[in-house]
Amino acid sequence: MKDILKALFQPFKVVNLQTIYLLFGIQAMAAIILWQMSGGGLIPGPYKVMHGVINVISRPDFGENLFASLWLTTEGMGISIVLALIISYLYVIPFFKPLAAFIIKCRYLTLTGLIFLFTLLTKDGHQLKISLLIFGIVPFFVTSLVAIIDSIDQQEYELCKTLKMSDWNALVEVIIIGRLDQAFEVLRQNFAISWMMITMVEGLSMSEGGLGALLIKSNKYIDLSTVFGILVIIFSMGVIWDYVLGLLRIWLFPYTKIQTIQL
Amino acid sequence: MSNKLPYQREKLLFKVENVSLSYDTREILQNINFEIYDIVRPGIVQGQVVSLIGRSGIGKTQLFKILSGFKKPNAGSVRIGVDQHLVQMGDVGIVPQDYILFNHRSIYDNLKIAVNHCSKKMSDKEKEESIGHYANEFQLTEHLRKYPMQLSGGQRQRVSIIQQVLTGNSFILLDEPFSGLDVVMKDKVIELLVKVSLSTEETTLIIVSHDIESSLAISDTAFILAKQSENKAATIKQTLDLMEMGLAWHPEIKSDPEFIDLVGKIKYMI
Ligand SMILES: Nc1ncnc2c1ncn2[C@@H]1O[C@H](COP(=O)(O)OP(=O)(O)OP(=O)(O)O)[C@@H](O)[C@H]1O
Ligand SMILES: [Mg+2]
Repeated sequence: MKDILKALFQPFKVVNLQTIYLLFGIQAMAAIILWQMSGGGLIPGPYKVMHGVINVISRPDFGENLFASLWLTTEGMGISIVLALIISYLYVIPFFKPLAAFIIKCRYLTLTGLIFLFTLLTKDGHQLKISLLIFGIVPFFVTSLVAIIDSIDQQEYELCKTLKMSDWNALVEVIIIGRLDQAFEVLRQNFAISWMMITMVEGLSMSEGGLGALLIKSNKYIDLSTVFGILVIIFSMGVIWDYVLGLLRIWLFPYTKIQTIQL
Repeated sequence: MSNKLPYQREKLLFKVENVSLSYDTREILQNINFEIYDIVRPGIVQGQVVSLIGRSGIGKTQLFKILSGFKKPNAGSVRIGVDQHLVQMGDVGIVPQDYILFNHRSIYDNLKIAVNHCSKKMSDKEKEESIGHYANEFQLTEHLRKYPMQLSGGQRQRVSIIQQVLTGNSFILLDEPFSGLDVVMKDKVIELLVKVSLSTEETTLIIVSHDIESSLAISDTAFILAKQSENKAATIKQTLDLMEMGLAWHPEIKSDPEFIDLVGKIKYMI
């Protein structure tokens, strides 16, 4: 027992899965107890928030709003990943390097100042939201994808050459097919950014509803337990998505599991 | 026991002339010159096996890159083939030091890519047979469905070698094919490379290695890479014609006293 306790505080110590789950459970319990004790005033306690969650879920328009958010994220992510992939693949062609480099730097542009411009440029609320999402996510996608491309061992291209592939064949084999699993991982990791942005852009155009719109409305009435309830739902949805995408990756690209275990 | 077997030197196949390489002001390689000729033996299909032997860090891998056309030397040229054209990327098959394979493809698919790009056109059935034949020959049949990450270093090396053989490249360069292998495996690799070298008359294996014993055991000619003096660039200090010495093409050569003696001498030279 003493050994186990000691191991828990040592770097790189490998502990079994059961212990990890146990740790997770204990720490979550502790957090909830702390929350319960510190709550009461402005911050609603866990019980109240749970109540909020149930209230939100049992609203007649909940399904609709949830679906609106999920659909918007999927659409935005879908378009963004396609754009980002194209830009990143072009990155290996010298002519397009500056474009990719610029888009990467666009991470430092803040959306807030651009909302007005986007409002003028887009036809309706839906377009506005999608454009903002794309504009917000693509630079992060491209950054991660370009980092993957940059880290490819030169020898892999040399292998293509000795196998008598053309430069284009090598691009397809090494960068597109060979890194599809990693592109998928980028999608998964950056999903968090778009899920985070979704509530923000939904607040800009509330006619289509969505969890973000719901959140802002509740904020307006200072209905804090509902606000926290929605936050819990948003958080859980994100975690579930992340998990599902992780499973999907292993299913689609079985060799990635081997690599992550071995490396 | 050593006896000289009859052979003839014919056409020039590979010529390295005055190759030098430096990084900034530091010279790594200087005036590398050597030639490889088609060796013909009566009644046997015999390819060529040549090794470049030198100590760790002397510039073998750099030379490897130059010979395969992946790196331009600061001076000099590398010519290849009967027509003696300047070497181009892809003219020479390579088996690098760390056996690079496509990790996202199964072993079978890694080999399939090689036959797909082979200069010789084959039907799907012939391709499959060719892969099956080599997989069987090199004890990889049971691993065909696995991914490279699931193989040991030695198994990956064998895949890497077959991959290059299947592309139909006559010239294959190998960087340290004996490193990280135990004694038994080294002999296996030698056996395997001998097999490859006997497959066609044109097949030419160029081995770059610091393993004197294994390299000499398989070669018909060896070039010793060494520094002329401390802090100087490396060059070819000696050429060993193992055929002339009667040390080439004998399977049991490692136990020959004359051979053991030679290995000892080279050890002091490099
Ligand atoms: N990109 C580089 N810039 C500067 N120096 C380099 C570079 N690459 C290699 N060198 C130097 O060239 C020398 C030869 O390196 P190389 O990798 O060819 O050695 P090697 O003979 O293959 O050694 P080993 O047997 O350990 O593989 C080394 O001293 C190394 O420091
Ligand atoms: Mg080396």
